[in-house]
Amino acid sequence: MTDTKYLETHEWYKISDNTFTVGISDFAQGELGDIVFITLPEVGQEFKKGDSIVEVEATKTVAEAYAPMDCVITEVNSNLETEPELINNDPVGDGWMVKAEISIMDDSGMSYSEYESFIS
Amino acid sequence: MPKSKKTHLFDFHKQQNAKIINFAGWDMPFSYDGTLKEHHYVRENAGYFDVSHMGRLKLDYSQITEINELICSELNNIDNTKALYSIFINDNGGSIDDVIFWKFQDELILICNASNTEKIKVHLDSNNITYDDLTESSILIAIQGKNAIDLLSSEFEIPEKFSTMKKNKYTYARTGYTGEDGLEVMCSNEDAEKLMHFLKENDIKPCGLGARDTLRLEASLPLYGFELSDNISPVEAGLKWTITNQNEYKGKEIIETQIQTKKHKSLRKFKIDARQIARTDTLCASNGINGLVTSGNISPILGHPIGFIIFETNPVTDLVEFQIRGNLIEGKLLNKRFLN
Repeated sequence: MTDTKYLETHEWYKISDNTFTVGISDFAQGELGDIVFITLPEVGQEFKKGDSIVEVEATKTVAEAYAPMDCVITEVNSNLETEPELINNDPVGDGWMVKAEISIMDDSGMSYSEYESFIS
Repeated sequence: MPKSKKTHLFDFHKQQNAKIINFAGWDMPFSYDGTLKEHHYVRENAGYFDVSHMGRLKLDYSQITEINELICSELNNIDNTKALYSIFINDNGGSIDDVIFWKFQDELILICNASNTEKIKVHLDSNNITYDDLTESSILIAIQGKNAIDLLSSEFEIPEKFSTMKKNKYTYARTGYTGEDGLEVMCSNEDAEKLMHFLKENDIKPCGLGARDTLRLEASLPLYGFELSDNISPVEAGLKWTITNQNEYKGKEIIETQIQTKKHKSLRKFKIDARQIARTDTLCASNGINGLVTSGNISPILGHPIGFIIFETNPVTDLVEFQIRGNLIEGKLLNKRFLN
């Protein structure tokens, strides 16, 4: 298990062996306001780095979460279908969005301290 | 950019960890505990909103006839204790602003949208109507909710619905913008602390502009700049009920023509049974008639997206298709209010 990394588009990801888990940062959920609907991908769907994988509808605006690297979806957090507020309450924990198998490894995300200075 | 204005209560909001946004040139609370929570405070109990950014102009009662000539409703013939929702009309029948008048026997208080305060002042100036701008020397607090009147009755004598009152240091009316009962209370900046203390003591929660917007939308109420504008008349916005002025008023001819010919734009309510929110400026069409979403969000009570569309003309079917991020999403036009 590696450290949680962050992208400029405000996703976090965490790599474990050949899979990763992805969600959106605490900063991002704060900017969006209350999240009310979430559209998750299907297990088995393939994505390239930068593709939109999740759509997040919030009271303030709509946002997308992008794939941090080329991948195939292996698991989605179906709790978010009925409790999208998990993303507001625990964005880097219970509010995780999808797990995916890595097709092409790309661990170029920012460390938390780098991300902190990026958003400040 | 001009420096943004702050209401007298700005520091008070900061102390309560309000998230601040700029709205119409004012730094205002967007939320405290979260928009959805605040929405439910109002629907289930009570909440208050600092709406001191809204323009408050004291008008001279002696000019009531001249003022009546600028709006589509009858201000002259209503009792001296009434509050009146009305619309200033331009020469093309469009809406300059939607406002509330508080009528007293000695004066009128005009409450306008923050984004339109300067525009209304210029309009009054050009029609030789004098006013005293109370906006920065007073606060305006909207206390709204299912239990608001019960909670307020220990401090306030409660007027009839849509009526005004002046008691102690407060000038107020039983009006609001959430679909719930309540009071909108004005007092001087010096007396603000007493009111805020009362609200806190009674566990009436602070709510921000985020919840104010979801509440007004769910209550089927228009917001100027979205459902109403210089190019949208009250007839087009579905506000024909406000047109009660039997005398001459600016823009009357166009308004009457719109009513008679029914040839005009048409504001309609919609709902969507999917998980996509059709937001402001989303393109849509109903059987070939094009429209543009003016406001859209989730209805926290109904649990699905709702909103308003302005159509070129009134659609003939109740089906509507939205273009949302490259997909066509189906919705339904509604004739009734969102909430019963």
